[in-house]
Amino acid sequence: MLDQDSLRAFESRCTQESPPRCRAACPFDLDCRTFLARMAEGKQDEARKLLDRHLPLPHVLVRLCDHPCENTCLRRDLGGSVALHGLELACLLNTDSQERLLPLPPKRYRMAIVGAGLAGLAAAWDLARKAYPVVLFHEGSIEDTLLIRFPQLRQCPSGKDFLAQDIGTLTRRKARFQRVDIDNGLLERLAAEFDSVLLDADAAAVLVPEESRVDASTLLWKDNICCAGWPGHTPTGHPLALPSRQAGQGRYAAQTMERLVAHISLTAERTKVQGPLRTEVSGITPVQRVEPGVITQDGEELFNSQEAVAEAGRCLQCECLICVRQCAYMQKFKGYPRLYARQAHNNAAIVKGLHTANSLVNGCALCGQCAELCPENFSMAELCLAAREDMVARGVMPPSAHEFALEDMENASGPECFLALPDPDMPDRPAWLFFPGCQLAASRGEQVKTLYDWLRATLNAKGLGVALMLSCCGMPARWAGRQRLFQEHMKRLHDSWKEMGRPRILTACASCLTALREGLPEAETFSVWEIMDGLDITSLLAESQANTATFASMPPVFSMHDPCNARYDAAWLASVRNLARKADAVVEDPPLSGATTACCGYGGLVWCAQSDTADAMAAHRAAQLPHPILASCIMCRDRLAASGKECWHLLDVLLPGMAQHSGNEPGPGLSARRANRASLRRRLLARTGAIVPEIAPPPCNLRIPQQLLTKLEKRHILLTDAESAVAGAEATSQWFENMDNGHRLGSWRPRNVTFWVEYSKEDGGYTLYDAWCHRMIVPGSGGQEAHEVIAAQQCCTDGGRRKQP
Amino acid sequence: MSLAPNYGPDQGTWRCGRCQLPLEQIKVPVFYLNSAFDVFLPRCPQCGLSLVPKSLAEGKMREVEALLEDK
Ligand code: SF4
Ligand code: SF4
Ligand code: SF4
Ligand SMILES: [Zn+2]
Repeated sequence: MLDQDSLRAFESRCTQESPPRCRAACPFDLDCRTFLARMAEGKQDEARKLLDRHLPLPHVLVRLCDHPCENTCLRRDLGGSVALHGLELACLLNTDSQERLLPLPPKRYRMAIVGAGLAGLAAAWDLARKAYPVVLFHEGSIEDTLLIRFPQLRQCPSGKDFLAQDIGTLTRRKARFQRVDIDNGLLERLAAEFDSVLLDADAAAVLVPEESRVDASTLLWKDNICCAGWPGHTPTGHPLALPSRQAGQGRYAAQTMERLVAHISLTAERTKVQGPLRTEVSGITPVQRVEPGVITQDGEELFNSQEAVAEAGRCLQCECLICVRQCAYMQKFKGYPRLYARQAHNNAAIVKGLHTANSLVNGCALCGQCAELCPENFSMAELCLAAREDMVARGVMPPSAHEFALEDMENASGPECFLALPDPDMPDRPAWLFFPGCQLAASRGEQVKTLYDWLRATLNAKGLGVALMLSCCGMPARWAGRQRLFQEHMKRLHDSWKEMGRPRILTACASCLTALREGLPEAETFSVWEIMDGLDITSLLAESQANTATFASMPPVFSMHDPCNARYDAAWLASVRNLARKADAVVEDPPLSGATTACCGYGGLVWCAQSDTADAMAAHRAAQLPHPILASCIMCRDRLAASGKECWHLLDVLLPGMAQHSGNEPGPGLSARRANRASLRRRLLARTGAIVPEIAPPPCNLRIPQQLLTKLEKRHILLTDAESAVAGAEATSQWFENMDNGHRLGSWRPRNVTFWVEYSKEDGGYTLYDAWCHRMIVPGSGGQEAHEVIAAQQCCTDGGRRKQP
Repeated sequence: MSLAPNYGPDQGTWRCGRCQLPLEQIKVPVFYLNSAFDVFLPRCPQCGLSLVPKSLAEGKMREVEALLEDK
């Protein structure tokens, strides 16, 4: 699927793992967000671990740091930046170091540091911690060097000597100190004697060039010599100590020294390629900064434990998740796209073992909302579709994931349901082809018929013929990642379309529109709404408005729900609104509509692969819409209505005589949808005077209570499956008899599924009590004799060992 | 992964409609995606007609099917 490079490129577009502003501004990469989370929980020991881990000279730095983090904190305009500096100080005063000094074997390379400024000391800290033998050469005492520059170190809160503490730790880590005269002779000697040398640009200024003469991306000056820690300047040109910058440079230069001695690239992968973290702050209420009870003479805020918890609690715990907040599917998997990209990639790389991310890949509705919402346009749809295509190509797609939906597609495009009908009055070279889509045909046969008649009447008057085609558009194959099947399907549609004289296509379904535009690029395909909007629809409305039943029940305001497949289709979005207005429906756009609309759960075949995820999506969407819904796609309408929310289809407000479609009614079940398609085809065909062969009667007369059928359809058992199972069991006499109540139990395996039916036989028919199914092959069931099945499987029954292919 | 070996009918006393014989718990090999397992199912001792109870089909069997599909 994705190779490592494209995975990286893909991943890097999701910035959820990028550091929040505070951390990005911290030269020591302190994980401020986690630090504040622990402080807010009152776990100061845990918070202290982070200070110990990230900060060189933690005491000195915490006391001196000019806290650039606070300048960029996202809380700044929402009550004031979080007091990171003050909280770090509080943590340091209240806790002891959590770090144990583990004796490490000394490394081979010897490091020299010249000058005990902040940069020199920070570098010494980092290198000594990693067990490099470090010698720090300094002029005068270390204390004096620092105290001249940072007199505030003299007074530390609680009377602690911060400097002595850190120097003590350095000594325990075996850093050595040597008093010398700093001059060029020294530098020459050290450069030869040591593997690498760092010059502190503040405390050893005589040896160090101007900052502009040193490469900022490495801080390497020449040969094995680095420089770091230049003081800044005030606008008036006075030297200005910038502790965080100086110590930060010291750390950066130390990293260069390590790379230098290890002979690895000084620049490779030093800065991560990832965009800045975006955090949505709309709706967050400002909370004022906590004023601590004690402030020292030199203005240092001292938070007590309670105050620290309150102040740390103001941290927004910045993260992105802009897309995840809107997508029920991503919430279900408890991660975010960057993580998902990695999981999908690892999943594809597994040769032996469980593919734990299969359900992640098959749970996405491919709706594209995330790509629209994400500031970096990360597309989960692209990721998951590519992963599905890859799984299909390698033959590792779980067969049960999409099989049922693909069978439905086959049925909707097969002999029972497919219809290509020329315009009866203008049969040659029709200008238009109406392609209502198999789901509209399944759900709203009468409306399809009425709309088709109106289109013909209206367009015929302009001298334009309108043909009709009933078929599935092939989108299920595309969503299932079955590229070849999609192409084959398109080839068939293409042939029929060509035979009809290459008419322009009108469709009422947003998925069809997408599929046809992609798979049949030679054809011009439009939404029927767009064309209707350009026609005079008064004749249609006159009739429909006379239908008082519909209009009496029409809600005063609808929430408009746009189908996800039409999110970028400006013509669709505009025309459905125009048509609703013309029909006197009042619609309101929810915050997420048009380009940012959410999926009803039909997209991507989630309804088939993971119906619970799909239902969560429908419920999530319905909850976002305050009024009864007006949908322009039939699957959106049926799925949102099934979630329990009143939902109308656009045709319900446009077409006369359709009052029976109240917005509260759920759509037809899966069995009825199939039957409806076939029946619409027959009715349309019969009108042309064609002789329509009798429908084959069902294989047996089976009574199924509607409630039971609804339950069975949830397990993907259709009415026809139950009927043929009963008929099959009876024909082969393969059934069991319940001695207590006389029920029969039979099974039938018409395809990759064995259906079981529990029924009773009465005069002239059967009654079904229950049904279930499985995919495993069980010899002696499904209508086949046990010994035949076992022979066909030719398998050692060794309790789970894989058969040799 | 294994199917716990023995599954009786969910309820009732069943007999084979063809042979009129009561069912016995008999070892049957079952197959899915290149794997095979042995389970004890209610079975006609004469003709081999085998019964898969609903609790097995919708429980353990579905679980194992999913597991094998993800393998
Ligand atoms: S609100 Fe918290 S996480 Fe966000 S920038 Fe400020 S300190 Fe960092
Ligand atoms: S369901 Fe839609 S919003 Fe959610 S991840 Fe998939 S494409 Fe993105
Ligand atoms: S919107 Fe989603 S994909 Fe985009 S950066 Fe944020 S978490 Fe990542
Ligand atoms: Zn028998």
